[in-house]
Amino acid sequence: MANKIDKILASVFQRRFKSITEEMGLTLLRTTRSPILNEARDFVTGLYDAQGRMLEQTEYIPVLAFAVQPALQYIVRYFGKNILDGDVIIHNDVFSGGNQNADVAVFKPIFYNGRLVAWAACKGHQADIGGAVAGGYNPEAREVWQEALRITPVKIYEAGNFRKDVWDMIFANIRYKIVEEDIKAEMGGCIVGERGIKALLERYGISKFKEHVEYLFDVTEKMVRKEIEQIPDGTYPGESYVYYDGIHEGSKMKINLNVVVNDDKISFDYSGSDPQTQGFVNAPLAATASAVLLTFLMLINPDIPHNDGIMRPIQIINPKGSFLNAEYPAATTFGNSITGPNADAIMKAFSNILPKKVTAGWNRFLGFTLTGKDPRSNRSYVDILFLALKGGSGGTYMADGYDHIGLINCAGGILAQDYEMFEIQDPHFLVKHEYLKDSAGPGLWRGGLGIETIFEIYGENVTGIAFGDGVEEEARAFGLFGGQEGSINKAELKYPDGTVKVARSKEIIREIPKNTLFKNIAGGGGGYGDPLLRPVDKVLEDVRNELVSYKSAQNDYGVVIDEGSVTVNKEETEKLRGRNG
Amino acid sequence: MIFKIGIDVGGTFTDFLLMDNEGNSNIFKVLSSPEDPSIAVMTGLNQMADKIGISLASFFDKIEIIVHGTTVTTNAVLTGNVAKTGLFTTKGFRDALQMRRGIREELYNNKYLPPEPIVPRHLRLPVIERVDYAGNIVTEINENDIINGIQLFMDQDIEAVAVCFMHSYANDSHERKAKEIIRKYMPRAYLSVSSSVLPQIRFYDRVSTTVLNAAVGPILKKYLSKLTTRLSENGFSGIFLIMQSNGGVTTPDIVTGLAASTLLSGPAAAPMAGMAYAGLHGQKSFITVDMGGTSFDAALIKDAKPIVTMDGKVDRMALALPMMDIKTIGAGGGSIAWIDEGGLLRMGPKSSGARPGPVCYGLGGKEPCCSDADLILGYLDPDFFAAGKIKLNKAVAEKAIQNLVAEPLNMSLIEAAYGMYHIMNVNMASAIREISVQRGFDPRDFLLVCGGGAGPIHAAMISLELDISKILIPKESSILCAAGMLLSDLKHDFVRSFHTQFPLNDNKKQYFSSLITDLKSAGDTILSNEHISEEKRKFQFSLDLRYVGQYHEVCVPVEIDDIMAMKFEKMAKGFHAEHNRLYGYDLKDEKTIMELVNIRITALGITDKPGFRKEIFAGADVSQALKGQRPVFIPSKMAFAPINIYDGDKMNHGNHVMGPAIIEQKNTTIFVPSMFEIECDQYGSFMMTKINHIA
Repeated sequence: MANKIDKILASVFQRRFKSITEEMGLTLLRTTRSPILNEARDFVTGLYDAQGRMLEQTEYIPVLAFAVQPALQYIVRYFGKNILDGDVIIHNDVFSGGNQNADVAVFKPIFYNGRLVAWAACKGHQADIGGAVAGGYNPEAREVWQEALRITPVKIYEAGNFRKDVWDMIFANIRYKIVEEDIKAEMGGCIVGERGIKALLERYGISKFKEHVEYLFDVTEKMVRKEIEQIPDGTYPGESYVYYDGIHEGSKMKINLNVVVNDDKISFDYSGSDPQTQGFVNAPLAATASAVLLTFLMLINPDIPHNDGIMRPIQIINPKGSFLNAEYPAATTFGNSITGPNADAIMKAFSNILPKKVTAGWNRFLGFTLTGKDPRSNRSYVDILFLALKGGSGGTYMADGYDHIGLINCAGGILAQDYEMFEIQDPHFLVKHEYLKDSAGPGLWRGGLGIETIFEIYGENVTGIAFGDGVEEEARAFGLFGGQEGSINKAELKYPDGTVKVARSKEIIREIPKNTLFKNIAGGGGGYGDPLLRPVDKVLEDVRNELVSYKSAQNDYGVVIDEGSVTVNKEETEKLRGRNG
Repeated sequence: MIFKIGIDVGGTFTDFLLMDNEGNSNIFKVLSSPEDPSIAVMTGLNQMADKIGISLASFFDKIEIIVHGTTVTTNAVLTGNVAKTGLFTTKGFRDALQMRRGIREELYNNKYLPPEPIVPRHLRLPVIERVDYAGNIVTEINENDIINGIQLFMDQDIEAVAVCFMHSYANDSHERKAKEIIRKYMPRAYLSVSSSVLPQIRFYDRVSTTVLNAAVGPILKKYLSKLTTRLSENGFSGIFLIMQSNGGVTTPDIVTGLAASTLLSGPAAAPMAGMAYAGLHGQKSFITVDMGGTSFDAALIKDAKPIVTMDGKVDRMALALPMMDIKTIGAGGGSIAWIDEGGLLRMGPKSSGARPGPVCYGLGGKEPCCSDADLILGYLDPDFFAAGKIKLNKAVAEKAIQNLVAEPLNMSLIEAAYGMYHIMNVNMASAIREISVQRGFDPRDFLLVCGGGAGPIHAAMISLELDISKILIPKESSILCAAGMLLSDLKHDFVRSFHTQFPLNDNKKQYFSSLITDLKSAGDTILSNEHISEEKRKFQFSLDLRYVGQYHEVCVPVEIDDIMAMKFEKMAKGFHAEHNRLYGYDLKDEKTIMELVNIRITALGITDKPGFRKEIFAGADVSQALKGQRPVFIPSKMAFAPINIYDGDKMNHGNHVMGPAIIEQKNTTIFVPSMFEIECDQYGSFMMTKINHIA
């Protein structure tokens, strides 16, 4: 078969698959109505072969990048021969390949000359998915049913016929009408994908398509194996903790990782990680797998095509019943948020073998959702506040951490809201949204800066839901190779009567009065390398820009700066640095 | 004889189009002089005088108009050589400029750094003041913050000052106050105030645009004053106009006030050129492509209206002025071939530029480029590149492709060269798909207008990828933008944000109509400053509308009479229809509430365009232009075959050629594949058409 491969045509297929998934993505960006989709871009579009193997995808945030294939392969097995031209299948269930209840996917089989040849899929985070609390995050959940409606694979179209009965049953269990619109948008995206694949098949025929798809998988696999070969063989441990299960004061859950590199194969073994929790601090299998792949991709050549081949040399050992692979009927909505701590364990494991590629710790995500009524319009609103939640990433060899980038799951793909739009969309009055001085972990390459957000709440019947991590001292973004930790997260409510309520990392806060001042700190990333080696002019620049204090410049960086003239005191600096460095 | 001149300063070449009042046109190309772009401009003008055979003084005396496109501002931003700029902004929000809403464009690349902010944090000064979303003053402005800041700015030798306060589109009184004070103490500083530059909602977009405007203001001012001085010293007393990114032209005085309107103006004239050339064939919907040495620009025009975007980016920073929606990718004659880790062939975006250029230039280039493949496949004649001025070295190009592409891929030299050519075409077709398919347009409904020196070799094969059946190659295709400049109108865009329910409640109507009057008079004032008489002024209104809860608006063009008469229902109908066209659905029947976000006006001053000279019909016979034959690679046969080579400069109106054939002109080469025919039109342009298969 190899001699039939036209390498040029393979490049063409790869380029076209990518551009079709981009077209699908653009369709969703324009047609969805929920801000988490059209503004925060929390969705993924992809194309798969008949067996459900990924051909290409367009992800706006990495955590969804590899979260579609497990569900699709389940669907392929589940329906078997009963997959018909004109079917549309909907799914979210975390116990059959889903990664998060609120991430609802639509799958469309693509037929050519009467044969199933490929699949198009769109998956996006929905504004609501039923369950006990609006908006999908319920820190009080103990079982999946308190979190969400479980949608196991079900056809909403069968052989081209709309199944109104099924549709109505699903949406009878979801609060907001816009979710229905957004699922329609996902179906639109799949149709765009189907059209693109069919045009390619018209032009090149099915056998060329199949041969070249196999070839593309093979070359991608080869690229990944080549990358792995460069990593020395061995077993590399890394560990990390998730803090507070939402129930037990002082609880922490251990991620126990052993990365095993053997020639051109790699495995991520999570045996020995803590058992699943009673609450929602659990991950489904797909969420953990996604965390592994997105972090690993940051450590290898980022230009490798994203298809099934990328996963072949990678094995994930993740025993059932651990909080990284929770068993039915566990609550798991916090699963995507375990990506941060999991990435910490992976970075630590690789730190001694790929020191120039790993980053220090990223700020862990502290989510805070506000729901209530806007008195200006009498309409209810939900705000996931991605404006306030983006801290800094970890420093790395030759680059400071990225300021205000946000959680590693999204890696800068999620955007902060525009200030003026924020005040128009929600009953909030912004007081401050700026970088936070001394938030970045000091280092030769310092961490990315965290931010401070303050606004006054003008809404009525307001409820706040905290779901996150990074509020404990221990949960700061870690430093590497002499670099220091980033700052902590904090969400704080100052009520009109002057009392102050500091939110726990997982908690529902009800009846927040109007005119409460909300203050949120998203911390900085960890530093990389000895801060005493950071060039003096870089430190001076940060001090001049009020991002690093005089005190930190002296104590952490060994750079003494005269406050009046904002110039370096060379003599004193040499004393400090000479002594330490 | 009177002359009109279009001058397009590019990265490699400065292009000139000289037209006389009889419709004769002449193309000139001079190497650009990046250190002082006006040097190349003067060189070109000198060459023109020589060519006509008159003295420079009497030539300048006969120039009626010069339209000039410049990349000085774009280059200043890309190289970081902008004016030293300071910013006054609302206390609590001084980092918005640098944060760029926290985006990292490369998700998996942890070494990817954000761009350096144009104004460092210590020069972004907070001012105590606050206006809310409805325009109410919440906190009065503290003037001392401005006065103290001015002192700091003067100590720091600040050349330009930007001012951007929260919600200033709703109430600009604080910005006006700040402006007054800065004017008083820093009379020579370039001032950029957000409520004048872009009085439009969305703080980050506004502060970024306002700061970019400040940072390039002094640069443009200096450049234009130097150039206009040189021109007038040489006796030029005609009209001098500057190209803007919105596809219109304006006077140096006005453009200096909104210097950011020249950012990304480089390719903006191509759609204007397309409009004229396609118009001669009665075509109003077309796609222009311009393939040069390093980049490929594509734009779509529907019903004689170019697509406009407010989503521009310069060096990853927002530039929210309305501008031509042009997709630029790194694909050109200099695009370098490389093999990725998985063994797949890729082309670009890295380019060998003008120096060293492709291997075949013999200037030291080692990496095989698109032009090297074009040469090996026989599309380029080694002895007739740039009319023979540059000799191409085929042997070294062959060696480079053999060693660096063919061998690693285990292919023959020819397979490798064709692979390079083909992948270039696929990449360029993808860029066209982005501006057509992804915007809801079917490329098959459009004519392809092809420009740029390297374009016509690839045009037919690109059109096959997209199923486009007609390609127009204008006579001036190699300098499409310079031509477009002479064919553009004066154009100015104004915007006012007004966030309210739509259709408007009665108590909002008075404010609405005052905004309309404001916008209209702003347009009248600027056009009268440009000495445009009233009958040559044209105004186009549009509204940015959305369904409640949506984040993105749809820009809906509205009739001037409808807006004056406040026919909101009719305008709403237009919104539903446009929403449906773009996104495939509307919410008219659901009776979803609509919102107005912005009101826009475009003020046009219609210019006198040069006429093209028509040639008499000379019949289909093209034998007078036949130069001979040479072997050329025929993609449909995947083999070389000897085909006819024609001298395009000797072809006349009506001359007809069946593919496969090559048509060579001084500045460009057209490849006509087997399934195409081509005809020279009455203006000296070429129309290439796909022949429908008879078999």
